[in-house]
Amino acid sequence: MSAQTTASVAGSSYDYEPTLECRDVSVYYGGIKAVDGITLGLRPGEVSGILGPNGSGKSTLLGAVTRMVKLTRGQVLFQGKNYSSVGPGKVIGLGISRTFQTVRLLPDRSVYDNIILSTDVVCRGERDQVEDFVRSAIARTGLEGYEGLRPSELSYGVQRRVEIARAIAAQPKLLLLDEPTAGMNKNERAEIGALLRSLQAEGLTQLLVEHDVAMMVDTCDYLYAMNFGSLIAEGAPEDVVREPAVQEAYLGKHGRHHA
Amino acid sequence: MMDWLSGYEVLFQLTLSLTLLALSLQIPLRMGVVSFASVGYFAIGGYTTAILVVHSGWSTWPAVVAGTVIAGVIAYLLGLGIAHLNGLYLAMATVSFSMILSVVAVNGGSLTGGPIGLFGVMGDATTWHFFIIVILVIIAISFTERGRLSRRFDAIREDPQLASAMGINVVRYRRLSFLISGAIGGLAGSMSVLMKTTISPESIGFGLIVLALTVIIVGGQGSWVGAVVGSVFFLWMPQTLDFVGTWEAVLYGLIVAVAAIYLPGGVVAVYKNWRYRRYVAHRNATLPEAVGASQGGE
Amino acid sequence: MNLQDVVNAMTLGSIYLLFALGMALVWGTMGILNFAHGSIFMFSAFMGFIVTGFVPLPLPAVVLIAVVTGALLTLAIQYFAYQPILKRVKSVAAAELQIVVAGIGIAAVPVAIAEKVTLSNNFGFQNSTFEAEVFEFAGIRITNIMILILVAGLGLGIGTALWIARSRRGLGLRAVGVDPETAALMGVDRKRMALATMAFSGALAGLSGALLTYYLTAINPHSGDGLLLKAFAVIILGGLGSVVGVILGAFILAFAETAVFAYTSGTWVSAISFGLIFILLLVRPQGILGKKEVRRT
Repeated sequence: MSAQTTASVAGSSYDYEPTLECRDVSVYYGGIKAVDGITLGLRPGEVSGILGPNGSGKSTLLGAVTRMVKLTRGQVLFQGKNYSSVGPGKVIGLGISRTFQTVRLLPDRSVYDNIILSTDVVCRGERDQVEDFVRSAIARTGLEGYEGLRPSELSYGVQRRVEIARAIAAQPKLLLLDEPTAGMNKNERAEIGALLRSLQAEGLTQLLVEHDVAMMVDTCDYLYAMNFGSLIAEGAPEDVVREPAVQEAYLGKHGRHHA
Repeated sequence: MMDWLSGYEVLFQLTLSLTLLALSLQIPLRMGVVSFASVGYFAIGGYTTAILVVHSGWSTWPAVVAGTVIAGVIAYLLGLGIAHLNGLYLAMATVSFSMILSVVAVNGGSLTGGPIGLFGVMGDATTWHFFIIVILVIIAISFTERGRLSRRFDAIREDPQLASAMGINVVRYRRLSFLISGAIGGLAGSMSVLMKTTISPESIGFGLIVLALTVIIVGGQGSWVGAVVGSVFFLWMPQTLDFVGTWEAVLYGLIVAVAAIYLPGGVVAVYKNWRYRRYVAHRNATLPEAVGASQGGE
Repeated sequence: MNLQDVVNAMTLGSIYLLFALGMALVWGTMGILNFAHGSIFMFSAFMGFIVTGFVPLPLPAVVLIAVVTGALLTLAIQYFAYQPILKRVKSVAAAELQIVVAGIGIAAVPVAIAEKVTLSNNFGFQNSTFEAEVFEFAGIRITNIMILILVAGLGLGIGTALWIARSRRGLGLRAVGVDPETAALMGVDRKRMALATMAFSGALAGLSGALLTYYLTAINPHSGDGLLLKAFAVIILGGLGSVVGVILGAFILAFAETAVFAYTSGTWVSAISFGLIFILLLVRPQGILGKKEVRRT
């Protein structure tokens, strides 16, 4: 499959049922166009990535998708249903879970309590199964033995895994990850990548925002590239990173390294 | 002998009052809302009950209910008006709320009894009634200190954005915290005035704010246990500290200052942290291979 | 309100200004709301009282004692209380409450000491060699202490405003208030600025304490408590982050209080500051000239 540079399409049609759809999503702050006319449809069961240098608008896009940020224009749809005017508190109830750019764990609570937090509101009707959900999340993220510890005892990589465990404990249909490997070394990065692949093998649709190119190529099934708020390329990861527009965004016109 | 007992009864009543007031202060605090309006709620509850009993001849329990409900409603309205303010500003707004009420009480003419206050607030409420009421409130609050509710409180306090991402309706909880804090504070004031049979502006001024706050500082703001421990500490300490004599107030101040600086979370947190440290030590001893992983901690 | 009232209000406003200025500087630039400021104010004057009990001193000496006491006390509190808290807590926002609470706790100690020594009675500088002189003209009575207060208040107020706006150090202080990280990168020595600001704030507390005591001839151990809340009203009214705002706020409050006192009974006066705080926070939290963000994020 060859890479395509995308033109803005309103009401686009896909040959699959996109789990998450953005239609001309735009977020403007005063004079700044943080996100400008993004249209995409995530393929179910795949790990999709959004690649872009700092300031390209990736996190703002995530904010729009999780409704923490107001849309200036456009719509977001989840499983075909428009949820553009819903508040941030309702998003997890739809089945969308996220991790944050900075680690946000409750410092005085154990790992177990931090993980179960995501089920408190959403899994109200399944209290007897919640413990299973949490145990399963702990197992899948390799956190056995850490349940009783507080975040301050954990290494950064482990804290990140707790965040991911928390996100998946609520049995989401879509997992959003905001730069989960920021500040990690190559090994830790690979571990997280492997974890995401294993989640994908279970059928979880994921959207990964990162700016580490190698990790994205290894982990993602489909890649979108952003710069200055717009999509500049999309397609198979190996193809996208070879696109001249993408290389320019990362390396600058004269080969200077951005990210 | 009866004098000795009745002397302690007054102290016991004061402990109950202070505990309830501290609980009223704790509820919003546990959700990250720094509100000192509890003293104002205490004033509203106390004066409402006093006015109804003294001026309108109401019987005890309806007057208590009135004091509680009116305080709760006013608290809720207050919350609607100021909940959007951040930390310090919200705190100061609530301080001024409480202080305005004390000035209103002073200037209330014959309705509030002016600077002298109201006397002869007699009713059928006994110390036992008060005790049972406080126990009931504590039981209700203890439900919020376990399981899901306690996690929600923590999330709302530590990281409201995260709480929202977890599906928690932060705004609704904050508003509720005002309502409940108001009801408990009003109840404390109502029962208190029936025990003492008097109420005056002096008893609801800045001094009470400081007193309630010191209870929270020393006992801890996270749990009803802290409210009880703090109240008992402050009211019963003088009995055992006779030797300190007139420097008692200075010692109190020092204890509060030290607790405020070095023991955030009060005595209760000290205990909780001690238990956690023991857990971690025990765990590291029994799972040696996990120690390597946790060594990389911050 | 007649001319005499105006003069009295100006004097009162100058006291408020001196007291609130210290608090505003520390709050605006360091994010620390020092609840012990009132207690320091009172204790500085108390020190003057103690010393003049042994040796009759002239006004400048008493003022100096108060100023030094205020500065030292504030520095001590910064070092022993606020800094440990800031070191322990990651964000200044979370530390805010703990600092306020610590300040309230610490404030109790000087008050308790003063109460014990004075047996809760008023104290003043009876033994000071200072003698009040009254001047009368244009139908108004003004004393030498009032003139001193006016000069000190307006002088220091305007001087500080100019210094912050014009001098290099002043700009550095403003930078620290707006963005400590950037300021540090720009070479502003935060630690030294912090200590200097605290010392200056304490000195102002001491100065206003001594001057007020001379003006009223006596204060009591609890005089600082009420002043604290009024200072808050002044700062909110003028707007946090603006020295000119503090000047404006101080005089507006003083005049409002004087007017209310003249036309109604004295018991409503304290309601003004509380009412101001409450209404302002409800409708215009940034005050007249304020810049800082007040909304919950």
